[in-house]
Amino acid sequence: MPKKIIIPSSLKQLEELEKYVDGFIIGLKDMSVNMPTYFTFFEIKTILEKYKTKEIFVALNKNMHNNDLEYLKEILIEFEKYQVKILYYDVSLVNLKQELNLNIELVFAQEHSTTNYATINYWKSMGADYTYLSNEITLEEIIEIKNNTDSKLLVTVLGYIPIFVSERHLINNYLTYFNLQKEDKYYIEKENKKYLILENKNNTEVYSNYILNAIDELKIYEENNIEYAVFNSLDIEENTFNEIIKNIDKLTSKEVEKILNNTDKGFLYKETIYKVKNYEK
Amino acid sequence: MKNKPELLAPAGDLERLKIAILYGADAVYIGGPMLGLRANARNFTFEEIKEGVIFAHNHNARVHVTVNIVLHNKEIKEVINYLRKIEECGVDAIIVSDPAIIELAKKYTDLEIHLSTQQSTLNIEACKFFKKEGVKRIVLGREATKSDIKEIIDNVDIDIECFIHGAMCASISGRCVLSNIFTGRDANRGGCAQICRWDFDLLDGKDNKIEGEKPFTFCSKDLTMLKYIPDMIDMGIKSFKIEGRMRSIYYIATVVNIYRKVIDSYINDKEHYNYNKDYEIILRNCANRDAVAQFFNGVKDVTCSYYNGREEISNQDFIGIVLDYDKETKMATIEQRNYFKKGDELEIFGPNINIINITIDEIRDEENNIIDIVRHPRQIVKIKIEEEVHKFDMIRKKIKLDKIKNS
Repeated sequence: MPKKIIIPSSLKQLEELEKYVDGFIIGLKDMSVNMPTYFTFFEIKTILEKYKTKEIFVALNKNMHNNDLEYLKEILIEFEKYQVKILYYDVSLVNLKQELNLNIELVFAQEHSTTNYATINYWKSMGADYTYLSNEITLEEIIEIKNNTDSKLLVTVLGYIPIFVSERHLINNYLTYFNLQKEDKYYIEKENKKYLILENKNNTEVYSNYILNAIDELKIYEENNIEYAVFNSLDIEENTFNEIIKNIDKLTSKEVEKILNNTDKGFLYKETIYKVKNYEK
Repeated sequence: MKNKPELLAPAGDLERLKIAILYGADAVYIGGPMLGLRANARNFTFEEIKEGVIFAHNHNARVHVTVNIVLHNKEIKEVINYLRKIEECGVDAIIVSDPAIIELAKKYTDLEIHLSTQQSTLNIEACKFFKKEGVKRIVLGREATKSDIKEIIDNVDIDIECFIHGAMCASISGRCVLSNIFTGRDANRGGCAQICRWDFDLLDGKDNKIEGEKPFTFCSKDLTMLKYIPDMIDMGIKSFKIEGRMRSIYYIATVVNIYRKVIDSYINDKEHYNYNKDYEIILRNCANRDAVAQFFNGVKDVTCSYYNGREEISNQDFIGIVLDYDKETKMATIEQRNYFKKGDELEIFGPNINIINITIDEIRDEENNIIDIVRHPRQIVKIKIEEEVHKFDMIRKKIKLDKIKNS
């Protein structure tokens, strides 16, 4: 069975699920995107100290500007003291690892670009031994990637999937423009489908209208030696998510759909269209 | 002597390539038969790339080919052969996003490699990495501020290319799959359906609609760096890029023509350079969309987005293109692109002429019959123009600058 990794929405949830899972992916305030919650550096160090037997991945997966680099260097040097794996989107992290000769493990996590084994092998040769695979590829592609790389793979098994990140303040600007009141939470809706839209001081993020549900595919991942299965708690009611995780080995996709009522296989069996004319060979 | 930046224009096909170069582009970027991010553009065959390269090189211009999709497994084996074919066409550079393609290009070709804006490179460390990897030029992410750009240029010895004009993604480039989710068309493989321009209902956490006067949208205004061209030249940016491989020849001619004038005017006489407000109006008219400097000044506020509805009227200003001119009869042969008639006030612009104002007083069809109205698409007609015009000059409706300025 792939190792179970959860993305918790709170410290309380992390603590409650700790004994049921192999590890966590957690976000660092101001340095991560697409996380249900963001911990301070101090909180992350506390988690790292407390859960030494767990595999902990820290997402430093935002796009870095020059004024982020100083802090980034500091935290990478600090994280070197721990057995922590770092999810990166921005290539600055790879360069800093190389230039500072840091003994940290990197996870190639450009969420929509981790789509083929050549690119994954390229980043492995640059020092990223892990890859968090894109949610927009098919099951067949996932298996083909596994058969052609030594990179250790993470796949999303359960959770809303990130579909948009912007540095713009899209909700706040809209509310300001039309002089509307702020709310605690927002969705956008089109054709009766709702999409969670989140805004913080750094980004606006949008998520899929469905919860990816690849519970049945866990067996296929196991047969193909996929190393990590990721369960994302974002916008799933806390107790419901916790119960699913606690019983995950006994549940089927159908049963999880009954619990959540809004799940889908995403792109696992549905290839996206790429219009290309036959070119002159 | 200041380093003169390259003016880099989009070209969706051979006609656009020629127009862009004739109107002053130092280089063009095009899509080949595959692996580019505009799968729905007509794009170039290998034969057309060759022809385009010959045309460009004869005019001292360069051709860059986009190979900037996110690869999937099934394309991996085709990449090497494809890159070799492009190299055989004699192109000057490829624009790549996926590092696997960088590696293959280095191993199997001598192609010059430019890093696509799809990598959203915004900092010194990432630039250093790609320099070590053999990348000659980096197209910075659209979110790069003036200080980001300056610090990169001051600290990394690599050519920097920045967008100066055109449409913007609402997202960070590469971090959007709205198109995949809503239409099944892969945004990062050439299929972007521009979902960010749709209207949506905005709901609160209890499903109540939050209603402004207009619906919620992600839609961004366009980019224009017209006011900041002198700053950008002084900063040492190597290449100024115009967005829009799907745009018309009229758009390309207009935008290239204006930026060519601005760049040359500043380079040639910095002391006496003045910002020309008329150019701003002409560009606004041509695109039919508002444009701002976006992230350059670190601004992310309401001024960058369309929240108040957006005109999406197709531009009817482009009247026609000159095919030929008879100096003796002073009759210009033109191909019509939009309806016009006798008595219309029009203006003609081109790479080698100042703007010529005319009032249409004589129109003849191909059989030399006098006609009053030209209404058929691409109809060939002759019109009287006293001043000499040239092939590829363009005719547009007269832009009433004073009226617009005072409105």
